[in-house]
Amino acid sequence: MLKSTHKAVAPPPLPEGWTEHKAPTGHSYYYNATTKQSTYTRPVASPAPIAPPPAAPLNPSQSFLQYQAVGSPIPSAGPGFNSFPQQQPFQGRGFQGQRGGRDDHDGPRNPRPQPTDKPKSRHPIPGCEPWVLVHTKLGRRFVYNTAKNQSFWRIPDKLKDGILQLDQQRIKEKAEALQREKEPAASGGIPGAAEKPATETREEQQNGGDAEDSSEYEEVEVTDDEEEENPPKRQRTDEDAPDEPIEFNEDDIAFQLAAMGQEYGLDPGEYDDGNMEGWEEGAQGLELTEEDAVALFKDLLDDFRINPYSPWEKLVEEGKLVDDTRYTALTTMKARREAWDEWSREKIKQLRELKTKEEKKDPKIPYLAFLQKHATPKLYWPEFKRKYRKESEMRDSAMADKDREKLYREHINRLKLPQSSLKADLLTLLKAQPLSTLNNTTIASHLPPAVLTDIRYISLDPAVRDQLIESHIATLPPPPASAAEEESEEAAKERMEKQRRQKALEDRERHVAEEKRRQKRNLELGKGRLREEEAEIARAMNVTKKGLKGHLMGEESAEKDS
Amino acid sequence: MPAIRHASKRKAPPAGFSDIEDDLLIFSNKMKDAENASTTNVPRHKVHWPIFQISHQRSRYVYELYYEKEAISKELYDWLLKNGYADAMLIAKWKKTGYEKLCCLRCVQTKETNFNSTCICRVPKAQMKEDQAIECVSCGCRGCASSD
Repeated sequence: MLKSTHKAVAPPPLPEGWTEHKAPTGHSYYYNATTKQSTYTRPVASPAPIAPPPAAPLNPSQSFLQYQAVGSPIPSAGPGFNSFPQQQPFQGRGFQGQRGGRDDHDGPRNPRPQPTDKPKSRHPIPGCEPWVLVHTKLGRRFVYNTAKNQSFWRIPDKLKDGILQLDQQRIKEKAEALQREKEPAASGGIPGAAEKPATETREEQQNGGDAEDSSEYEEVEVTDDEEEENPPKRQRTDEDAPDEPIEFNEDDIAFQLAAMGQEYGLDPGEYDDGNMEGWEEGAQGLELTEEDAVALFKDLLDDFRINPYSPWEKLVEEGKLVDDTRYTALTTMKARREAWDEWSREKIKQLRELKTKEEKKDPKIPYLAFLQKHATPKLYWPEFKRKYRKESEMRDSAMADKDREKLYREHINRLKLPQSSLKADLLTLLKAQPLSTLNNTTIASHLPPAVLTDIRYISLDPAVRDQLIESHIATLPPPPASAAEEESEEAAKERMEKQRRQKALEDRERHVAEEKRRQKRNLELGKGRLREEEAEIARAMNVTKKGLKGHLMGEESAEKDS
Repeated sequence: MPAIRHASKRKAPPAGFSDIEDDLLIFSNKMKDAENASTTNVPRHKVHWPIFQISHQRSRYVYELYYEKEAISKELYDWLLKNGYADAMLIAKWKKTGYEKLCCLRCVQTKETNFNSTCICRVPKAQMKEDQAIECVSCGCRGCASSD
């Protein structure tokens, strides 16, 4: 595995006196300072001043010697840690684990070119001072005692704890570095968000792997973890590839889906995220009713600021709406057209209402402002008209050309008057304004239209005029509480009305009460009379013997009298 | 020779014209393009089709603005008719039942045809013998019966 991926053979060292340089083109060339020679071809140490064989295994005898060393567990890398010639001892040694014993015999006979390994980095092992842990270019490692110049592939038991500590520290650092890398990326959007969980899981796996490694340090020196350590070797081999989808597991996919959904503003129901129970309410259960569809289409029209006066064909031809998803809320062109008709009718109605509410702007105001800016006594009206015929103020159809001419001539005539009279005119104009429109709360830039449409307003130079107006405004009293007055008037009216109603009510009540009293009196009177009559009858009925006798006697006496 | 009426001396159009001015301008530009388009290699009877179609569209636009959307005032509508923005005769037909979608006046002019009949585009789709795609000779209409 290691052999297949690693090709780089360290170039043989330069002979003494030669130095390597980079040409501006990127080629490297070699220069000998003593002989003043320069060449593109790498000078080989043919004179062999220090005589390190450039490719060690090519020499059978040497490789034999090398394999002699295989038997001993000593990598012997230590002394010349940074110097090239010391690379040979690694060679066979590193591959021993994979090749097994067979190479012990094959090696000398048909020596295969082996990639040279060399130390890449060294870390002091905490707790065991003279010892350092050396990582090689091929991702293997051994321990080296700097004091005794000893190195071992097999890590002694007493160093295990220190190395474990070192490994943990390194992993932590790496995780932090990754995190720091991810932080800016995460704000970037989905890719960062998706990657993060994946890398984290991978990291966890590494940790697990390391823990396993630590238990069997003696057996396996080359671990997966160490492969990771070696970035140039990171080309993925076939064994690694199937791991990838497992690392990016379902949770991650769900997470990414959710992130995308959020980004596009979708409900979870609109994409299938696997767990139906988890959907929020209304994700898919809500049916889009017809009214909703029409309303959606109308919203779309609103959002695109479509002119409600435009013909439908124009809308279709422009094709602005087609890209929006709301366009598909209505499925047929006929339905869309109907929705459009309805919408435009409503919209036009709204616009008309708005327009009626909006106060009508006098076309004279912009025209007079324009005159003040451009009119000069040097130009006659036809010249002036011709010169500015393209200005919007001159083309405004709301104002007749005759009026324009009249105003222009008047303005030009007034420009010839002395300043003092102009000022006096302006003051009289200002004084003529009612207090309700012009008072000390009026802002100089928002004068009443009556002032703005007057020719006397533009006769003076703006700087002079504005000062004059401001000083005049400052002298004015505050606005009369006209609005409040009006309101109170209204209220008074209301109150009076109310009082009148109240009074009327009272009147009626009084009237009714009087009526009642009269009735009562009548009743009483009737009762009294009735009682009287009753009494009379009772008296009449109450005829005693004596009474009757007396009566009869009375009658007799009356007869006698007659 | 009649007096030249200068644009600036003309009476301003009624209020509300500014709302529809742009769309009318688009129509008039289209019409100009159609008028100036080359007629070489165009069959004789097809030469006037685009003119009829644009005229129909513009009349329909004005008609809908006034009668269906009630977006323009009576004055403006009259002004538009007077100034040739819409075909008053065609609009008059649209108000009659059975003629709601009439494409052009030539298509209902029975005296101009050999058999004293209206144009093929006036025949409802339901009554056509087979599903044939028709384009009427006078204006290229594909069918303007009210029931379509």
